[in-house]
Amino acid sequence: MAKGYRARGVRQGGWGRTGLAAVVSVAYFFPVLWIILTAFKTHNDALATPPKFLFHPTIENFIAVFRRSYIKGFEAVDTGFALFFFNSIFVSASSVVIALAIGTLAAYGFSRFPLRGNDTYLFIILTTRMLPPIVVIIPIFLMFRVAGLSGGYAGVMLLYTAFNLPFAIWMMKSFFDELSGDVEDAARVDGSSETRVFSRVALPQVRAGLAATAVFGLILTWNEFLFALLLTGVGTRTVPVAMAQTIGGDIGVRWGLLAAIETLFLVPVIVVSFLLQHQLLRGVTFGTIKR
Amino acid sequence: MTQTPVTTATVAAARPATWWTPRWSNWRLALVVAAVVLPASALTLPVNAAFWLSLAAATLVAVTAVVDAWGRRRGPLLVAPALALLFVTNLFPLMWSLGLSFFRYRANRGAAPVFAGFANYQTVFASPIVWDRLQTTALVVILTVGTQMIVGFLLALLFEKEFPGRRVLLMLVLTPMMLSYVAIGAFFRYYYEPTFGLLSQAVRVFTGRPFILLDTPARALAGIIVADAWMWSPFVMLLVLSGLVSVPAYLYEAAEVDRASWWRRFWTITFPYIRSLLLLALLFRTIEAFKIFDVVFLLTEGGPGTSTETIGVYVYRLAFQYFRTGESTALAYILLFIVVVLTNLYLYFVKQRSAEA
Amino acid sequence: MRIQWRIARALIVVAVLALVDAGTPPAPAGAEDIVLHMAVPDWPPTRIMKDLADKQYKAPSGNKVTLEPDFIPWPNYYERLAASLTSGEKKYQMAVSDSQWLGAFIEGGYYLKLNKYIDADPQLQAILRDIHPAVVDAYMTYPYKSKNYYGFPQMPDLLVVYYRKDVFCNPAEQRAFRARYRYKLPCTPQEMNNADWSMVRDIGEFFRRTAGEKLAGQPLTDDFYGIAYQAGKGYDFASMQINGFIWQYGADIWDETGVPHAHAVGVVNSDAAVKAFDHYLALTQYMPPVVKTGTMDIFKVDELFREGKVAWIIQWIGFGESTITPKTSKVADKSAFAMMPGLRGPDGKITRWSNIGGQPFILTTWNNEKVTREALDFCKWWLSKDTQIKFAKAGGQSALKSVYDAPEYNTFRPWNHAFGPSLDWQKDVWHVPEFFELLVEQQEEFNKAITGQETAKQALDTIASFQEKLLKESGKIQ
Repeated sequence: MAKGYRARGVRQGGWGRTGLAAVVSVAYFFPVLWIILTAFKTHNDALATPPKFLFHPTIENFIAVFRRSYIKGFEAVDTGFALFFFNSIFVSASSVVIALAIGTLAAYGFSRFPLRGNDTYLFIILTTRMLPPIVVIIPIFLMFRVAGLSGGYAGVMLLYTAFNLPFAIWMMKSFFDELSGDVEDAARVDGSSETRVFSRVALPQVRAGLAATAVFGLILTWNEFLFALLLTGVGTRTVPVAMAQTIGGDIGVRWGLLAAIETLFLVPVIVVSFLLQHQLLRGVTFGTIKR
Repeated sequence: MTQTPVTTATVAAARPATWWTPRWSNWRLALVVAAVVLPASALTLPVNAAFWLSLAAATLVAVTAVVDAWGRRRGPLLVAPALALLFVTNLFPLMWSLGLSFFRYRANRGAAPVFAGFANYQTVFASPIVWDRLQTTALVVILTVGTQMIVGFLLALLFEKEFPGRRVLLMLVLTPMMLSYVAIGAFFRYYYEPTFGLLSQAVRVFTGRPFILLDTPARALAGIIVADAWMWSPFVMLLVLSGLVSVPAYLYEAAEVDRASWWRRFWTITFPYIRSLLLLALLFRTIEAFKIFDVVFLLTEGGPGTSTETIGVYVYRLAFQYFRTGESTALAYILLFIVVVLTNLYLYFVKQRSAEA
Repeated sequence: MRIQWRIARALIVVAVLALVDAGTPPAPAGAEDIVLHMAVPDWPPTRIMKDLADKQYKAPSGNKVTLEPDFIPWPNYYERLAASLTSGEKKYQMAVSDSQWLGAFIEGGYYLKLNKYIDADPQLQAILRDIHPAVVDAYMTYPYKSKNYYGFPQMPDLLVVYYRKDVFCNPAEQRAFRARYRYKLPCTPQEMNNADWSMVRDIGEFFRRTAGEKLAGQPLTDDFYGIAYQAGKGYDFASMQINGFIWQYGADIWDETGVPHAHAVGVVNSDAAVKAFDHYLALTQYMPPVVKTGTMDIFKVDELFREGKVAWIIQWIGFGESTITPKTSKVADKSAFAMMPGLRGPDGKITRWSNIGGQPFILTTWNNEKVTREALDFCKWWLSKDTQIKFAKAGGQSALKSVYDAPEYNTFRPWNHAFGPSLDWQKDVWHVPEFFELLVEQQEEFNKAITGQETAKQALDTIASFQEKLLKESGKIQ
């Protein structure tokens, strides 16, 4: 790799910047903070007027996420949420990984070995995200039923992978485009195989792009609702679908329960984003010059 | 091993002697076979058999294409899996709905579809409701995407530099887009609610009376846009940020030596690095905003009256409540056409600009 | 090449499998073990059903029959069910259905017509005779009020009054009310049963207090409101209340039993209907401010009452359980219940009508005879007196005369005394397949009137001409 670079363009800001950023961030975060606070409130505290900032925190909502009684006076039963959380994690993680793998390969192809009509292909790929999903629901539903994919993990994973692909391809292509091909060419001259050029030269330089794409993909998949509602079965239901059971029916909204589910549901995606953030903020290019 | 660029010449050279030679690399023959098998099976066989036979035919095409391209054409091989997957999961349903848009059909009736030509398109074009909903949607798209771009960009500038606590604070800003719509819908309704809501309670401290946000069309629209922009500005921020941090430091140092103004520095150094990502953000957010459904449906249900009902909500009603399947797909394709034209125009202008630069 | 042969073999296998697969119908349920999959909304009445079935149900045939409900959250229940039915998934043997959906899904061929089974089965006939006729018409028939039967009651529900007995029965409030309006403020459920809409207006005006004023002797920390009923935009969250007003005024919605001669124009927007809707609108001024946004749906009404912000509401019985549970309600020990008010005529008599709520459950058409028999046996067990009493004890309602007329029924829940008598004046909204278009357009126009964008007359005129046009197109009006 080229020598004599001063890393990326991240410059020092100091404590003054921290102060400003803290004020902005906390204000921005406030609606989420309120959800998290609500998760620790009893039902009767949740809607109190004036709103309660200080209260006796309770963890009963978090217990109720996993075990509660659905009928007044009956014993608490397993709600199945442990399974729903597993389903969400499993389906999102695998579809993001698959989409990232296929998408990065495609992006590398589109960027380095353009096809005839390259832009047209890219545009068609983008088009698949443009139609309101509700009108393709019935054909997809039918197709999945015939293929035996309805109700299982495979179907939703396949769909989510396709769901993430356009963004992954466009995103990774823009990162590959920013890279100079010189380093790759140099490696080729040194006798590296194409596979090696891709995995040892090109890929390490777009780690930030991979991280960002993974985070976006995870976020988009994590909360997908419509397809999950219609294509998952009792055993493969994901959290966003199951979460709706806290609304309607015999009570307006079970605030504490909804907030507790949402809070728990935020944890995995925040942890992953936080871990990948390091890559993200390191910058895209390690001194390679834009071509 | 060096890569030969794929040109028309190499493609021509790779062409098999005749298209009907049955070889594993002859994808043309496979394509012909598939073109015969697909409609034939669809017309004659029961749906299950037709599906699997079509799948087998498609696999045959894919296999021959891969065998043909193996080792020679890197570009197509690299993009093939992605295209294949998108074809199976998206294009098939798309084609299906496109077909339906020419039929008088209701998915909830036993009756078979009746060919109707462009009747569905006529109905949709003649419908004043569609035009009204399109106007509302345009307004929402412009306002919410505009807000997201500005807020997202400013947030990215804030987090551009390294400072103590940056990683944690950045996470706080990123969380809104990680929330699920069920929670967003319930809680924003609560925030805006005049009796219990935080907004109303805060205003009451000063005015002494409850504050009703969603009672007029304009303010209901504002409520939707605030919620949607709050949720998706971090998306723009993250994209811009990943561009900003990739600007090599020596460029800035050189600029400081030159005593270039902040604006000039931004325009000549920073902007080229984030341009493609800004474009990406704008593209994806516009496409998503055009389909906006959940926030509207959960916050105002399109009210008061029909003042905030977007085209996404109307398509939902047509498709799933009224079960006017043919009409809804026709409308969906008109929408697709609009978005395609818009994005193409946009991409065209961007290319011109970058060619000039 | 070896590898290519393998590929070819795989392709052949796939093709053969496809043909074989097409030839064999889906495997029928086992002779001994039969699972009845049922689409149900996720809430206590269906949870109780599952619990009772697991603990009590023994199929008379000797087969091992299990009820396997798919508990789907209420907010998305319709979409899930509609997608499952229309895609031909054939996943469910039974399903809970709103009564309005009957026409749409019967015309699609998804709900099983039960007449031949009922005709052949004296037990089912006896059950049918025992169910209140208004419920039979609303939950079981398509076309509405015909003799074609499709479903059975799962959770019968209707609108009743919830009110705060602590403030209504407070002596100081009683005195103040009499001084101002010259008659007694209702306190007991019997007195409240006698309420009419003009009394409701007085209640709304009387209990409107701002923070700092006193309510039942206690200073208020927040605004307090007199009345609330549904006035929302979503689903049917205004129509269900407005229909009651319209019928009480002697006006009508488009009458599907009069096809093809019943018209919408001149009926839906008759002078009496306009008067009724105006009356409905006039009362909204005494309601909490959220009504002005047009989003005061049944859930908001429920929340306002449970949080103690309003003195008197009209609500479905289905919300009662969470209202009298201290964990979820601030007014658990302060709530009382009564029948929905009516319109008092010049003769002093009250005209009562209301729109029925609740849900029937249906059998689907794709089951083989054995499964259908088992499903019907299950229905008979569900609608047996014994099971219905257990259901009612756990918090459900029963539409069986022999159950709700028994004196012990009123001891199960504090609102049960209002249930039986109210059944006599329940009607249902349309069952026709076009119901969703009718409903959505009507809700939109009602919402415009509720949020002050147009008058009652304008709204009803628009609704009437829309309905006339739509129903002419579909041949329901000639």
